[in-house]
Amino acid sequence: MIPQEIAQTIIDPKAYADGARVDDAFARLRKDMPFAQAHPEGFDPFWVVTKHADILAVERQNELFHNGDRATTLTPIEVDRKVREMMGGSPHLVRSLVQMDNPDHFAYRKLTQSWFMPQNLKKLEARIREIAKGFIDRMADMGGNCDFARDVAFLYPLHVIMEVLGVPESDEPRMLKLTQELFGSADPDLNRNRAEIADADAALAQIGATVGEFIEYFNAMTEDRRACPRDDLASVIANGQIGDQPLGHLEAMSYYIIAATAGHDTTSNTTAGGLWALAENPGEFAKLKSDASLIPSYLEESIRWVTPVKHFMRSATADTEMHGQKIAKGDWMMLSYPSGNRDEDVFEDPFAFRVDRSPNKHVAFGYGAHVCLGQHLGRMEMRILWEELLPRLEALELAGAPKRMEANFVCGPKSVPISYRMH
Amino acid sequence: MSDRKTAWRTWQCMTCGFIYDEAEGLPDEGIEPGTRWEDIPGDWICPLCGTPKGDFEMIEI
Repeated sequence: MIPQEIAQTIIDPKAYADGARVDDAFARLRKDMPFAQAHPEGFDPFWVVTKHADILAVERQNELFHNGDRATTLTPIEVDRKVREMMGGSPHLVRSLVQMDNPDHFAYRKLTQSWFMPQNLKKLEARIREIAKGFIDRMADMGGNCDFARDVAFLYPLHVIMEVLGVPESDEPRMLKLTQELFGSADPDLNRNRAEIADADAALAQIGATVGEFIEYFNAMTEDRRACPRDDLASVIANGQIGDQPLGHLEAMSYYIIAATAGHDTTSNTTAGGLWALAENPGEFAKLKSDASLIPSYLEESIRWVTPVKHFMRSATADTEMHGQKIAKGDWMMLSYPSGNRDEDVFEDPFAFRVDRSPNKHVAFGYGAHVCLGQHLGRMEMRILWEELLPRLEALELAGAPKRMEANFVCGPKSVPISYRMH
Repeated sequence: MSDRKTAWRTWQCMTCGFIYDEAEGLPDEGIEPGTRWEDIPGDWICPLCGTPKGDFEMIEI
């Protein structure tokens, strides 16, 4: 069994904000107990999958390890009980691709899969470049000081996905606020009440209110797109069919919510964290500045470095064995992506940020049938931003201490103050 | 028809979008440039997401 101090650390939102605390905890686990059970206070026990190869093995066997049977993110016992009461026995407040298994997962993913393939995304390249240039011009006008997270990284991917989804620009601040409330529900700077969470009731009330506001918004959008379909993703969801039936209401709402949250927040985190890493590593910044062909490898390294999705949970559908450990049917498992992406058996000097790292087979997008649907869009947005920004960015340094969000599910920098010179 | 007379083809993983180009092969995975799709073993899986070879489709790029 994992020592209690480590078990408490790997669930602690403040440890993820600290960074080093959670990195140290996972490094100890990879070395001493790479596949063991944690029993943190207030949570059902779960296996902690820390090694890159084991994460791939679990994700590849998506019939043996299900997403939907138990909560897909770390959820305290008390919150889980209340969610099941509210949702008629289901452990999920929403039902997106993340909470589905086959046959539903395949059917619902197919609805938008081709839209997210690289050949379809090519048609967006020119427009995304225009958006990126707009943000870079704005950054140039700021006079050499900005908070790169708040002024650029949060806003650029938000604008792209909202345009793709069909949300008007005037509603983008609301979408950003709701996203940060959802993913930053444990962070007193970002959650709905802007306060420390007192108990399970308070946590659930806040998240429930945020989800409710999203649903109200997207109900109206569904009606609009059914009446007047447009060339946007909302119209695909609103008018999509599974078999010969429209999408279920909860499933449609969840599709919008995942697009409107994960569709930008993860890219924002990676963009902000990528620039933070360059500011902290002037040698790597110089290397990248002198060779634009390194942008793709820098991009992958920033994704590995930040790993914005910190975990997903799976549960076993049958008794099985891994690492000589007996896993019982129903056992809960935490796939730790930051740990897999610092695995010393896969990455040489994993705690070093290298813009030319190769190979770089990180697991930040997951693996297997549930691999991130929006990975090509996220990569394209970041590639375009760096292609446009790096040639204009002549000098860069931190102008204060960056801060990360307090969260154990999806998180990254919430503030990256920089000073810079650009033309 | 021999390889010299048949154009190289590309195949795409329908889960993650990974593209296998016969002309380029996958030298990092031990598949030489010029390896035809039919010559890749049946138990081969997508290097990006682990999807089986059977779930790839031929595409034009």
